[in-house]
Amino acid sequence: MKKIIEVKNLTKEYKKLKAIDNLSFDVYEGEILGLLGPNGSGKSTTINCILSLLNFSKGSIKIFNKEMKPDAYEIKKEIGVIFQDVAVFDELTVYDNIDYFCGLYISDKNKRKEYIEYAINLVGLKEFIKFYPKELSGGLLRRLNIACGIAHKPKIIFLDEPTVAVDPQSRNNILDGIKKLRESGATIIYTTHYMEEVEMLCDRVIILDKGKVIASGTTDELKALANIEEKISVEIVEFDSKHLKNIKKLPNVSEVTYNNHLLQVIYTKGDNNLTKFMDYLKKEEIAYQKIFSERPTLNDVFLELTGKELRD
Amino acid sequence: MIVFKTFLRIVKKCIFPIILYTVILVLFSSINISTEDNNMNFTASKPDIYIINNDKYEGITKSLIDYMSANSNIIELKDTKEAIDDAIFYRDVNFIMEIPVNFNEEYLKGQELEIKIETTGDYPSVQAKNLLNRYLSTARIYQHLNLNEEDLIKKVNATLENKVNIEITSGLDTSALTKTATYYNFLNYAFLAGSIYVICLVLSSFKNENIKKRTLISSMKINRFNRNLLLSNSLFAFILWLIYVILSFILVGESMFSMHGLIYIINSFVFAICTLCIAFLLGNTIKNKDAINGIINVIALGSSFLCGAFVPMEYLPKSVLNMAHILPSYYYIKNNNLISTLETINLINLKQIILNMLILLIFASIFIVITNIITRKTRN
Ligand SMILES: Nc1ncnc2c1ncn2[C@@H]1O[C@H](COP(=O)(O)OP(=O)(O)OP(=O)(O)O)[C@@H](O)[C@H]1O
Ligand SMILES: [Mg+2]
Repeated sequence: MKKIIEVKNLTKEYKKLKAIDNLSFDVYEGEILGLLGPNGSGKSTTINCILSLLNFSKGSIKIFNKEMKPDAYEIKKEIGVIFQDVAVFDELTVYDNIDYFCGLYISDKNKRKEYIEYAINLVGLKEFIKFYPKELSGGLLRRLNIACGIAHKPKIIFLDEPTVAVDPQSRNNILDGIKKLRESGATIIYTTHYMEEVEMLCDRVIILDKGKVIASGTTDELKALANIEEKISVEIVEFDSKHLKNIKKLPNVSEVTYNNHLLQVIYTKGDNNLTKFMDYLKKEEIAYQKIFSERPTLNDVFLELTGKELRD
Repeated sequence: MIVFKTFLRIVKKCIFPIILYTVILVLFSSINISTEDNNMNFTASKPDIYIINNDKYEGITKSLIDYMSANSNIIELKDTKEAIDDAIFYRDVNFIMEIPVNFNEEYLKGQELEIKIETTGDYPSVQAKNLLNRYLSTARIYQHLNLNEEDLIKKVNATLENKVNIEITSGLDTSALTKTATYYNFLNYAFLAGSIYVICLVLSSFKNENIKKRTLISSMKINRFNRNLLLSNSLFAFILWLIYVILSFILVGESMFSMHGLIYIINSFVFAICTLCIAFLLGNTIKNKDAINGIINVIALGSSFLCGAFVPMEYLPKSVLNMAHILPSYYYIKNNNLISTLETINLINLKQIILNMLILLIFASIFIVITNIITRKTRN
């Protein structure tokens, strides 16, 4: 696979705070790379450094094997960015907004028209092209924000939390759009603190915390780190805590907790854990409402590695 | 191109206030123009003047007093401060001038002592002031020629007499020129408000932090982007100025087709440059679009009131006018008023006008420097 972006030993310090600490990673052609991390972990700062919007104290950034600089216009031509904050003109319609941002890259009128239509269809804003941003719902506004960033058909696309505060319908639309962009050959760097999105979308994930990479790999590789195979949760109204000890002794169980009428059992490995657990409940005649079994999530990975939750 | 196109789209969206300012301009000046027309027969009458002469009645002093007396009604008053104040208050007199001690002697030595004046600020008082200015500016032409007293006075009197004759034949239409001044004075408000509104709005949109980030990461060279934005704004200000100049031809008509008209146009152009710089400074400082309307009121309305765009300068208290010296509008409006009393157009008469224009340009360069400092700071 071809290396497209190379970040080496990147360090960025704000006045007092080390926002990025010796960060290194690569991005390969055609992949969707997820940058996952809690609030303030340095995701946006990383993107801004890669784009030369911020200068940094140490490290190097190469895109297409060339050093990225504020005047590297040849590289910039191939990059599209959707920032965390919506950036559109209030005075322009949906269409004119996309026209402006696309026009910064593409001066040929006919080509631009074709590109704008493509972008509008991709995010599903066809009925809204004459609307002003003020007349759009939050979700539609985010879609416009995306259309403005990708209309010039860039080869590399950065998306910084594009789904924050978005209704489910728009979120699905956005995620579908991102998949389509990848299918058309773009390389995508996607930051978020929603692990579900990462699992659904990303080929590879880098987990950031306090400006450092704490883990990276495919979602499956990462989940292996969590040291969890299965998590069984049961709603039980009356539960005698003497059972806790017995359950802990069952094969493969690593942890048992009971809080707010919810019993949680964590298994490190093994098959048929659920069946064996239900056999125990039956034997002890414990009445329960609901029972469900989960595979580990990236949150569990994060919890395992840092001792805290991904989202607070 | 895309920057210019987007600029136009934004202007299109906020064209309404511009139309509003223009309508106000047209209404205000046409009302003023028609009321002054009613005063036409009034202008035929002579102003009432009281002259306090602390000098001897001889030489240039005598000549001046004779000239003033010939062209106005001299009123007799008791020479007490109270009597004079009362006379002004009840408009028994329009214009009071006090010739200082040794005026004649000093004048012959090349020094022009200040003649103190007090006016009611109405039309006759402006007429009287024009008489005085006319005399002094004519005398100034000969003052430096080292003539003896007799010759100097002869020449001055002869020129003034000739001028009256020329005036009758050429008909310098002072009332039309005052109308033009009224229009161009009010332009101070309309042009300031209109261009600050649009340029601030456009700049605050383009320089909005998030939109700017997008522009910065794009493949458009940043210098080219800034240049295009600058050109678009300048072009807008130029077109707005041009529209207002054309409107002045429509509203005041004939007297615009003269040297005076040309000087009005040049003066307003210099002011337009200065306004553009003010608008750039504000556009680069104001981040909040809601603040724009407030700022326009403070700057356009404020300067118009302080510098006499709505009310003639003569009506304004001295303290206000003194304060107005720090505003560019003051020099613009002052020039308009000077142009309307310009008897002959020559270098000596134009000196003050050109000086005021230079002051406007100095203001403009100060604004440019400040804008540069501010934008450089925010870039870091
Ligand atoms: N301009 C700034 N000046 C000082 N500190 C900053 C600045 N911008 C960000 N920071 C700090 O740098 C750290 C990383 O911020 P960053 O915005 O990159 O985080 P993030 O991962 O994008 O978070 P979020 O999920 O909230 O967007 C935070 O602790 C933040 O407070
Ligand atoms: Mg962020």
